[in-house]
Amino acid sequence: MKILVALKRVADPDNANKVKIPADGSTIDTAGLEFKPNPFDEYALETALRLTEDGTKPKVRDGEVIVVTFGPADTESTLRAALATGADRAIRVDANDDQLDGLLVAKGLKTLVAEEKPDIVLMGKQAVDGDTNQVGQALAELLDWPMATFAATIEEQEDGLVVGREVDGGVLELSIKYPAVVTVDLRIVSPSSVYSTKTDRSFKYNEGVRFSPLPAIMQARRKPLDTKSLADLVDDTGLKINYLRFEAPPARLAGVKVADAAELVDKLKNEAKVL
Amino acid sequence: MASSALFTLENPTEEHHMLRQMVRGFTRDVVEPQAEEFNRRAEFNRALFKQCAELGLLGLTVPAEDGGAGMDLLGAVLVHHELSRSDPGFTLGYLAHAILFVNNFYHAANAEQRARFLPGVLDGTRIGCMGMTEPGVGTDVMGMGTTAVRDGSDYVLNGQKALITNAPEADIFLIYAKLDGRMTTFVLERDFEGLSTPGKTPKMGMRASSLGEVIMENCRVPAANLLGEEGGGLVHMMRNLEAERLTLSAMSLGIADRCIEIMIQYAHERQAFGRSITQLGQIQRYIAESYAQTEAARALIYTVARDCGPGKRNRIGTDAAKLFAAPVGKQVADNAMQVLGGWGYCDEFKVERFLRDAKLLEIGGGTLEAHQKNLTKDLVKARAQ
Repeated sequence: MKILVALKRVADPDNANKVKIPADGSTIDTAGLEFKPNPFDEYALETALRLTEDGTKPKVRDGEVIVVTFGPADTESTLRAALATGADRAIRVDANDDQLDGLLVAKGLKTLVAEEKPDIVLMGKQAVDGDTNQVGQALAELLDWPMATFAATIEEQEDGLVVGREVDGGVLELSIKYPAVVTVDLRIVSPSSVYSTKTDRSFKYNEGVRFSPLPAIMQARRKPLDTKSLADLVDDTGLKINYLRFEAPPARLAGVKVADAAELVDKLKNEAKVL
Repeated sequence: MASSALFTLENPTEEHHMLRQMVRGFTRDVVEPQAEEFNRRAEFNRALFKQCAELGLLGLTVPAEDGGAGMDLLGAVLVHHELSRSDPGFTLGYLAHAILFVNNFYHAANAEQRARFLPGVLDGTRIGCMGMTEPGVGTDVMGMGTTAVRDGSDYVLNGQKALITNAPEADIFLIYAKLDGRMTTFVLERDFEGLSTPGKTPKMGMRASSLGEVIMENCRVPAANLLGEEGGGLVHMMRNLEAERLTLSAMSLGIADRCIEIMIQYAHERQAFGRSITQLGQIQRYIAESYAQTEAARALIYTVARDCGPGKRNRIGTDAAKLFAAPVGKQVADNAMQVLGGWGYCDEFKVERFLRDAKLLEIGGGTLEAHQKNLTKDLVKARAQ
């Protein structure tokens, strides 16, 4: 089993420095931001690790997990953190964030897929910065591969995967053959969400993504990390999505205290006009 | 290469940054939820200790070729710093194992001893402790009464150690004793005849680790358990005290960081006289001075940590770091309690636990007075040369 995991880094919402938008709204000012992996992509990496191991022996990798990101040199920190968590090797496609859109990333991934020939491409359902939710779907279309999005559960079969997806009133199960593109939702890192054929169904994972053991952190630098240029992967690197203008959401107004339920209903009806 | 935001005084390399991210996540998700219960029950959390082993934290200063992680002293400092944001009590038990036993043992042991003892203490199946202090001997360590005498190919130890963290549950003991009047280090094992640990010593804080006595009555120790050379104990002790002081200082820093978080959040939400109490000058003084003192402690501890390790002794720096940081931890915890008022005195807001824990760091691993004594002696000696 060979799995390609696409990772994107996003601005860390817990950091004191926040995304800023200059007055003319022409761009997003990323100066001083700290970055962390997109949480849904971290879940995709955890999923890939669970699919390539016996859950009771997480140090032994049965298969290969390759992580890829598109970004400038300092995104290698994100990749090395993934290598410390358990990925086997990494690829960075050199590009600045403002040179990328979802379709361009999908096209770049398509070329990488042709080179690497993975059985599965895994990624988060969307990145929590732009929330565009399109790379997985665009990649499946470009490759003409089966696709399962918003995966909440995955069970490995001999020739494919059974993917569960939460829908109103239940879970929809899809059976897909390799090779395939799968995007994951937050429930995928629950204790019983992912089972490889090696992991017994009675095994329960810890909730969430695994911690990188210290010895693996120390060895991460010794794992291969290749760099490619975007132009090597994609002929036409022009953007198909142009951002016209950015604006911050309006500041939240202070609340008001109401005397009684009648006044509340009156305000909801006549001021907020929601009733 | 990497963004400047990542590589700071506290995280000089990418590995330190990743280690901090890992320990911070582990502390938030795993250590924090158990802290209140284990401190209230005054119990060391064996399962949590085992999880530390699985993350490679028990041998963090042991080189990779011997089964450890090969981290430096700054790495050890950051682990104690992060863990102490949630549970200084557990962290103290972890320190007694990873620094007082494992780090000390590793640097003093021969290849056969490393092969024999390291696997069990690195995978967490055996808990270690270190015995220096005695009922009537603390700072005056050369006045130690525990003795060792040769008997055939063995040594026979007699004496009593007190105030030993982890002693009640320890499986393996690094013990200092005088052999022909010279300090010598031995490894004792739980099943040695003549070795006993009678019960837990109740204490004010740090309750998630246990404290107790180690009694040796004609305790026979095979020659293979002599650590280093006869008379080599003083070098082991002084070398390891530097690592101990720095990691203890880092615990004070973790306490201060957490107490500042708690007091800021509380002050921001709490109203008095019709406005947030952050508008009151008296509260501002607690918050601002706590922050400034904590940042000064951080700068000192991490600066010294970069300049200290098995190959680079730094007694002056480590004494200074602990002399400065321990009172900061206690003062900031006390400031937090003052900002929280009555709520600070109650368990729910946690600062009463941090205040009780913080006091130990003015005593354990060297009293403030011991640091003052050492610093003055070393500074005068350096000036007089």
